[in-house]
Amino acid sequence: MSEFLQSLIRGLGSGSIYALLALGFVIIYKSTRVISFAQPAFMLAGAVLVSYLAAEVGFFVAVPVAAVLIAALALGVERTVLRPMIGKPVFVVAIITIGVDVVVRVVTNAFIGLDVRQVGDPWGLSTVSLLGVDVQQRYLVMLGTTVVVVAVLFAFFRFSRIGLAMRAVAYDQEVALAQGISVGSVFALSWAIAGGLAALAGVFVATGAGVDQQLWVIALKALPAIILGGLDSLGGAVVGGLAVGVVESLVGTYQGDVAPWLGPNFALVAPYVLMLIVLLVRPYGLFGSKEVERL
Amino acid sequence: MARHRVVLAVFSVVALAAVACRGGDGAAPQEGKGGIKVDFGVTGEPCPNTGHSDRGCIYLGSISDLTEGPFKTLAVPITDAQKAFWKRVNDQGGIAGYDVDVTTHVKDNKYNPQIHNQVYQEIKGKVLALAQTLGSPTTAAILPDLENTQMVSVPASWTSLWGVEEVVLESGANYCIESMNSVDYAVEKLGAKSVMAVHLPGDYGDDAAAGAKLAAEKRGVPFTNAVTQTGQDNQGGAIDAVLANKPDVVILTTGPTDAAVIIGQTAARGFTGKFIGTSPTWNPGLMASPAAPAIKALYLQSAPWKAWATDTPGHNAMREALPGVTPNDGYTAGWVWSYPLKAALTKAAENKDLTRAGLLGAVRQLNSVDYEGMLPSGAGNFSGNANDSTFRQTLIYKPDETAPTAVSLVEDFFTGPTAKDFKFEKPCYT
Repeated sequence: MSEFLQSLIRGLGSGSIYALLALGFVIIYKSTRVISFAQPAFMLAGAVLVSYLAAEVGFFVAVPVAAVLIAALALGVERTVLRPMIGKPVFVVAIITIGVDVVVRVVTNAFIGLDVRQVGDPWGLSTVSLLGVDVQQRYLVMLGTTVVVVAVLFAFFRFSRIGLAMRAVAYDQEVALAQGISVGSVFALSWAIAGGLAALAGVFVATGAGVDQQLWVIALKALPAIILGGLDSLGGAVVGGLAVGVVESLVGTYQGDVAPWLGPNFALVAPYVLMLIVLLVRPYGLFGSKEVERL
Repeated sequence: MARHRVVLAVFSVVALAAVACRGGDGAAPQEGKGGIKVDFGVTGEPCPNTGHSDRGCIYLGSISDLTEGPFKTLAVPITDAQKAFWKRVNDQGGIAGYDVDVTTHVKDNKYNPQIHNQVYQEIKGKVLALAQTLGSPTTAAILPDLENTQMVSVPASWTSLWGVEEVVLESGANYCIESMNSVDYAVEKLGAKSVMAVHLPGDYGDDAAAGAKLAAEKRGVPFTNAVTQTGQDNQGGAIDAVLANKPDVVILTTGPTDAAVIIGQTAARGFTGKFIGTSPTWNPGLMASPAAPAIKALYLQSAPWKAWATDTPGHNAMREALPGVTPNDGYTAGWVWSYPLKAALTKAAENKDLTRAGLLGAVRQLNSVDYEGMLPSGAGNFSGNANDSTFRQTLIYKPDETAPTAVSLVEDFFTGPTAKDFKFEKPCYT
């Protein structure tokens, strides 16, 4: 039982990282209908920024400051690089985001230098006893922070005027425009929010061993999460992210005993298997909205 | 008529391409400075940046991982060290009336075999040899061409494949030999009674795992194996495998942060066995990571040569040539790897033949290379067969935050019994 709980909490911890990343993808997708492949770069940039800021102002100040700065960076990228592409096919825009990703990563890499950098978090690998089970504090922090961030985000979309505007744009851009909503601002804001979330996720990843140039690969885990949850569902992104984390962790813990014939590292494939199963049953993901196409 | 014109146009393009290719591959040897025979990449004109107007220039190419690839943190210091190495050679008088240029033809491979091949094709007609070709899969992509064009090349990787490739000038023990020595060390000095290899797929990790397996079989200790993938959150499988098998020693061939996650998380979950990592597994920055206590307690590092701060003439010259840099053993690697090429160029110049074929011929005449104390005497034998010329000594280091590259020596150059008796005829992982 304790093994199960430990595995579950590890999974929820890494799942919350995937959830934060997936939320970024979904927020951008909802407003612009584009999957932004620049998220990995913002994640890396956030972690690197914190590794510099934490030494000056401490970890707890560094994280929100970095999230805001990366949000501003993402906003700037949207405003300068992507805004001129409005009206162009989404495929083209998605390819441009790959270019943005490479540029931001190459610049960020220059700041990593030769050594692995540390974000200076206070938890390290220390554990705490929860229901008689030793679990690492950082996983609980990740989970807790994600819950708070998600709650704030949902409240923002539900109750604020800008949140309402964003929902309107997601629903129908032209109608929103006709109602006096600045669609451009909504695009910029969604990039900013996604950038901030990616930065936070990057910091969480780096709490284990530090920041190196390969940190960005983890952002790709968000892809099965968003497909699983439904590309245009915020709730789906959170559930998808957590599901990917938990499935990965539990399969890693038990597959060796239960189904060794699946070979090592099946845990890495498990989220994709889950995604395929979900897609077979619900082609638009767990919470995705069905698209009606009239011919 | 129009059709004829198209056919003619196509024919002309094909003919032009054929001529262009011939021009690249078949330059006739000419007599260069000092009566030395030259063909590719050697000019009577001085090098652009060395400031010695009375000398000719030998152009060497470098293909490395300089921007966004995974080994940038090693590749950049390797490339910088090689620039410093050849600058020192030029400052000390060059090679038989020639300076060596390693700055004009530096290309980025992004650690992608396709790009590696593409940039290689761009520079291959302009250089005599490659001062660096970084990575095993990337170099494998151009290997047939290197052989065909007799392009002597310095690798930036330690796979055992280079031991059987004549055009590749490797230095130090390969991953396979290094892991054999690590297992022998663990069995003899740490009393290990079981061995596990945790490694990345491909000829980096597979090579080391093959060596560890051979040594475990030779020593009669049980061996298990776990393949893992790059990425901090992809180490769950490896961690669970280590905890399930509880080996006395784990031979690690991953990247630094992967290693830190594996060591930190297994230690946090009660693992007390030792880890021995190959050199690319280590980064001094890990000593500041949350996994540092576990790393200090459980980790040892095998190495092909001595670390940055060692006191040998070669190390001293390297540090002097690279003032003000952050100590990193990427520099050491780039510097050490350059010695055999310098020896081969000198030999070829003595033979009055600085053509590609002449340089390869000179390589075959090298019985040993003077590494200025960075490798023991006898290292750098390229004249015999693979079994005779394979270098078999390894060192063991331990984490030490007071040392410049955060490691201090535990065991000086040694050859374990497995590596000593091993008959090396083909790459270990095949």
